[in-house]
Amino acid sequence: MSTHDEHEQEAEPESGREPEPDGGVKQSKPLESASAAINEQFESIKATRRRRAVGWLGLIAGLAFLTAQGLVAAEFDDTDFGWAHFYSRLGDYFPTTTYFEFIPGIPGIPFLDVATYWEFMVQLELLYDPDIGGLIFQFPPNFSDIYAFFFQEMGMFAIFGEAGITLAIGFVGTIFGFPLALLFGVLGSERVTRFPFNFIFRATMSFIRAVPAIVWTLIFVALVGLGAAAATVAIAFNTIGNLGRLFVDELEEIEDGPIEAMTTTGANKPQIVVFGMLSQVRTSFIAWTLYIFEINVRAAVTVGVVGAGGLGTVVVNQENLRNFENMMATLIAIFILIILVELFSQRLRARLRSDEERMSWRELLFGFPKRFADSMVR
Amino acid sequence: MSQIVVDNLTKTYGDTVALDEVSFTVPSGEFVIVLGVSGSGKSTLLRCLCGLTKPTAGDINIDDRPMTQPRPEIAMIFQQHNIVGDMSAYSNALSGGVNRAGFLKSIFQLQSKAEKQRALEALETVGLLEEAEQKARRMSGGQQQRVGIARALVQRPDVLLADEPVASLDPGSAQDVMHYLKDASNERDLTTFISLHQVNIARKFGQRFIGLHDGKKVFDGYREDLTLEAVDTIYGDIDTDGMFVGDEQSEADSSESDRQTEATL
Repeated sequence: MSTHDEHEQEAEPESGREPEPDGGVKQSKPLESASAAINEQFESIKATRRRRAVGWLGLIAGLAFLTAQGLVAAEFDDTDFGWAHFYSRLGDYFPTTTYFEFIPGIPGIPFLDVATYWEFMVQLELLYDPDIGGLIFQFPPNFSDIYAFFFQEMGMFAIFGEAGITLAIGFVGTIFGFPLALLFGVLGSERVTRFPFNFIFRATMSFIRAVPAIVWTLIFVALVGLGAAAATVAIAFNTIGNLGRLFVDELEEIEDGPIEAMTTTGANKPQIVVFGMLSQVRTSFIAWTLYIFEINVRAAVTVGVVGAGGLGTVVVNQENLRNFENMMATLIAIFILIILVELFSQRLRARLRSDEERMSWRELLFGFPKRFADSMVR
Repeated sequence: MSQIVVDNLTKTYGDTVALDEVSFTVPSGEFVIVLGVSGSGKSTLLRCLCGLTKPTAGDINIDDRPMTQPRPEIAMIFQQHNIVGDMSAYSNALSGGVNRAGFLKSIFQLQSKAEKQRALEALETVGLLEEAEQKARRMSGGQQQRVGIARALVQRPDVLLADEPVASLDPGSAQDVMHYLKDASNERDLTTFISLHQVNIARKFGQRFIGLHDGKKVFDGYREDLTLEAVDTIYGDIDTDGMFVGDEQSEADSSESDRQTEATL
């Protein structure tokens, strides 16, 4: 920041030689070729910039001081920091086998035992449950038990094993939370509910947000018992707070035009809300909901840690058993699940937000390699 | 120097044909106005010329170089200004020359003095030197558009493109902005290409006119060629009675024709 004043004093090499548009040649004195009015304005801008630079420097100094205070408060000055210990613990998570020891001169190259992870994933059915769907292809089909057929044999979430439970918690939580989030979000908007009263809804949402999902799970365990159901209710509840807040914020930024237009048509209040307001934010609401779905799947992993089922529970169980290799395998499974959910949601959101002509699903699927290649060469 | 050669330019959006085999040549330094109703392809033509939109078929050569992507020597002025509301008029003007400064230099506004002088002179050209330090957001529509022109001028272009620069302005500000555009164009000897839909303003300022209708070029000629019949072919069957006032008539009459034109269009 401090360099800029010095910089302004020195003449640019370019400006020394180059004729100015008005015919003069630039000198090292402040804007000699320019008119008095321009010079005056230039000096005024320079003074403003100098004042602003001082302000910024003060701000940066203040922030640096605060950060230093924070580091001390977070006990960074008193850690038993040790790379050696960290490195030795890594071995627990990343089992290795050393190969090529027979070659003289080198001590052998350690390889990561990916198979260990894979075996555990298969054994505990982390990502895929082979039992699901076996009966569907049986002939003649057995329709005697409709529930078993649809929900056990056609289990769309169950087929993904433990990951399916986590995914289901996040999905159902989002679906149940959405309508309430919409209601609270709309009623919390200042344009729908008059000023002090909209804070009833905003405060409710703030309260829900103030308590993390994992704590809500502990509370709802008392209601529906320990398990995935408690986690789902907790996440649905949490969705009201998070998604509702996003809805409120989005509604604050809409344009007045369509609302006024609907008002002049004599529409009643709910009609104004639907046609004047919600119609403006439809795509962004869907996009935000998909984003909250991503977050909810991640939250479903966290709440699993308190025993609500799914991948989170597997992680904490394996840690208690000190099976760090298996724990790592579960973390990898979580990583795969989250990445897939995010990829799906991101692409869907990009598709929703783009103004371009929509591609057909066929084009979307089969045209992908070509588009990918196009983006690579660009 | 910087002549524009457009050859069989075609642009389609799905089934919609926005431009249909449009061809013309604009010699260096001409002040050209594109006329046409909304949806006739004016904006698409401008966007193709500045390289923001890729044509479906045909070629655009500016300065004997094909136009495949935006180039610094071709400046664009947008209908909605597209200036940054949170920056001052001066910073906005200065941002026209960022292509000549490095990333850090432009971030901290450490451009050379010549560059800063250029920004202030551009603001002076559009009559905004006094307001240089004002936030662009707080300016009126006409002033914002003039900041947009200043930014384009700081770019030091050879070609100035403007997509309906006065469409969202009142007649007074519209005249102002057109005056400044014309002055800037004369002063710096720019090839200027402006799309408009107000025939009266176009006639007042234009040197050459290109008419588009449904994406096709239906008119190409100079001031004396722009007759009532020509306007009819560009705008289709509209009531053009009283739209034209002879050039010898006074300002009062021309403002009368303003009102009538707006009522008719």
